[in-house]
Amino acid sequence: MTAPPTTGLAAPERAPGRGRGPRETFKHSKHTLARARHARLLFAPSLLISFFFVYLFIGTTLYISFSNWRIGTSRDLTLQSPWWSTYSKLAEEMRFQADIRNVVVFTVLFLAVAVIAGLVAALLIHHVAVGRGLFRAVFMLPYALSFIVTGVAWRWIFNPNTGVNEILRWFGIENPPGWTTDTSILLALNNPTGAGPLKIELGIPVALIPIVLAAAWQLMGFAMAIYLAGLGSIPEEHLEAAQLDGAGVWKRLRHVVLPQLKPSTITALVLLLHVALKMFDLVVAMSGSGPGFVTDVPGIYIYDYLGSRYDKASAASMVLLVMTLVFVVPYLIRSYRRGGDS
Amino acid sequence: MINRRIPALLGTAALLSMSVAACAANTSEADSEGGSGGDTLEIVSWWTSGSEAAALQVLFDAVQEQDPGLDVVNAAVSGGGGSNAKQALNARLQAGDPPDSWQLHPDGELTSYVAGGNVADVSDLWEENGWAGQMPADLAALQQVDDAYYTVPVGVHRGNVLWTNPSVLDDAGVSIDAEDSLDDLVSALEEVDASGTTAVCLGDKDIFAAGQLLESIIISSIGPENWNGLFTGEYPFDSPDVRTAVETYGHLLELANSDHSALTWDEAALKMADGDCAVTLMGDWAYGELVNAGNEPSDDFAWVPFPSTQPTFVYVGDGFSLPADNISNEGAAELWLTTVMDPQVQTDFAVEKGSIPALSTADVSVLSDYQQSAAEDFQSLPIVSSLAHGQVTTAELSQEYADAVTAFNGNTNVDAFISTMAAAQQSQLD
Repeated sequence: MTAPPTTGLAAPERAPGRGRGPRETFKHSKHTLARARHARLLFAPSLLISFFFVYLFIGTTLYISFSNWRIGTSRDLTLQSPWWSTYSKLAEEMRFQADIRNVVVFTVLFLAVAVIAGLVAALLIHHVAVGRGLFRAVFMLPYALSFIVTGVAWRWIFNPNTGVNEILRWFGIENPPGWTTDTSILLALNNPTGAGPLKIELGIPVALIPIVLAAAWQLMGFAMAIYLAGLGSIPEEHLEAAQLDGAGVWKRLRHVVLPQLKPSTITALVLLLHVALKMFDLVVAMSGSGPGFVTDVPGIYIYDYLGSRYDKASAASMVLLVMTLVFVVPYLIRSYRRGGDS
Repeated sequence: MINRRIPALLGTAALLSMSVAACAANTSEADSEGGSGGDTLEIVSWWTSGSEAAALQVLFDAVQEQDPGLDVVNAAVSGGGGSNAKQALNARLQAGDPPDSWQLHPDGELTSYVAGGNVADVSDLWEENGWAGQMPADLAALQQVDDAYYTVPVGVHRGNVLWTNPSVLDDAGVSIDAEDSLDDLVSALEEVDASGTTAVCLGDKDIFAAGQLLESIIISSIGPENWNGLFTGEYPFDSPDVRTAVETYGHLLELANSDHSALTWDEAALKMADGDCAVTLMGDWAYGELVNAGNEPSDDFAWVPFPSTQPTFVYVGDGFSLPADNISNEGAAELWLTTVMDPQVQTDFAVEKGSIPALSTADVSVLSDYQQSAAEDFQSLPIVSSLAHGQVTTAELSQEYADAVTAFNGNTNVDAFISTMAAAQQSQLD
């Protein structure tokens, strides 16, 4: 499912064996040359469209973020002086600082929970003979829901007075956490006094935990599907050989299965990562910005300022774009290279 | 083998759902744009829920009565207290494709549209129909920017209403009156708290609810004139009275339900009616919400204007404007404005919407007890615009206020709130 982008129309059939790259094949075959030319023609319309509707618009957004265009409906394309001032003000804002902290914390926790849960589910389903189809459906089902639906349901689960806290109280826990209403920060690294440029406490906001759980619940099925595909491609002989050599379940998992699942892990991480960075609807439905912006994310920030500060919303969008690119571009380069010489 | 098919199935399902959604969007558009081929009138609003949609239909019926051949297109966008509709409208305005008329708040929000050159000057219509003489002078002034009229007010909501649970107040042995001072209110609520019941119900998952409570306290503390001064720069945000108001708000947060940031305003109102707490502050759209849930006015819940030594009417207004350029059907659009400014239409509209008519010539005797009491106050009290609803000032300062309230709800840092708002006030004036 994760065919690298280069193995589309342009890629010729690869010569078997290592060391003979596709470029070599290009040279030797008129047939493939013609096909490559064909491919370029076929690609042209989609390249043109993506240039206009993606890159041109990214460029426009970048320009607006340097401009004085404040209210969406009254265009003002003059540049600010200095032109980066929107960005420097953004960096000083308590809300935006909280947004960056939240999205980083959310992404790390969410990826860890969703991928590990997905892996465990996939291993169980792959190795348990009974009710495979049923369990696969059960784990996949949440993925079919909209984030809004998930958010509304989980809002009630983590409502401090109903939901999960009822169970905690039943177990004798006197003061269960306030979940999305909780303003405390776990493992806080600093204590902002208001004097320095950092206006927020760095750490893990308790209020984000329910959102991480809801998002992981919804998307672990997706990670599971990727892992199931990966597990299916591990040759049975490898496992048998390991078993004959006396490797137990854990050793087989650790030294045979997990290494061969590495491509699946990377695919799952990258595909889920951009979901995490762009998170918006789930948070809106579940908690909103939260007291003191403990659950605010850049997506909500951009939405809120779209009508009142077009330049600021554009600058925040660019920051979000760069954050995504930092992770996704190395992945694309990697898969491009692999597509070229594997 | 089967395992490998899952991702493909996933992809197919995603594509299918997208195309289904796209088809659904297309058909609804086609339905709304198709029609008799006669004149069309396209109206953008954010009235989609039960009572709102019914009220909007009253206006549509009235304008079609005037011009039976007219095809009215309802381009309402739901959600977010109008913020989704505004996003959609802004996109259309930027593209030079405005609807024939759209809903907006007067005053500060109107000023943004005027500054962007988006709305038409309708002063001639005001003069022809003598509308200014049929409403409080404060209200007429709020429909203007630089002495020209750019909108018409179809209905009036009150923002500073304290909804109370009579039996909870009785049990605690306290009463709340409109003429009480802020201190009286706070000590009454403290007594409720001491009696073992939560004093204040608040539902600020959508932050405007908290913003509205705080603005009611500030207005009560500094009075209507200084409130307006905050947005013209004549009165500073870092004045001692504003600080006291913010401190009072912080105290009320302590007296409020601890899960306030997880609830919405309507959930908080119903909690109050259920007797979980004594009071909740909300605009008078809460009245319909309470009644629809089966609560008996005066019995299960009562109301009192937010206590203030200088009683004030906090105005959250609904109006309609016309586009400055690219208007597709000017005659029908003007007919729309004169229709919604008809006294009888305003009364019929108020019955459905739960608001009160903007025109003093409209009959209010058919309205509910609450609406009649609000209409009386509206004619006699000073009228100011709400900040929490983005009406009194620019969209930017309104958003910064919302952000400052959100931050305060987390850290209850009065100094930080005051300095943020003072800086925001300053940057708006520069």
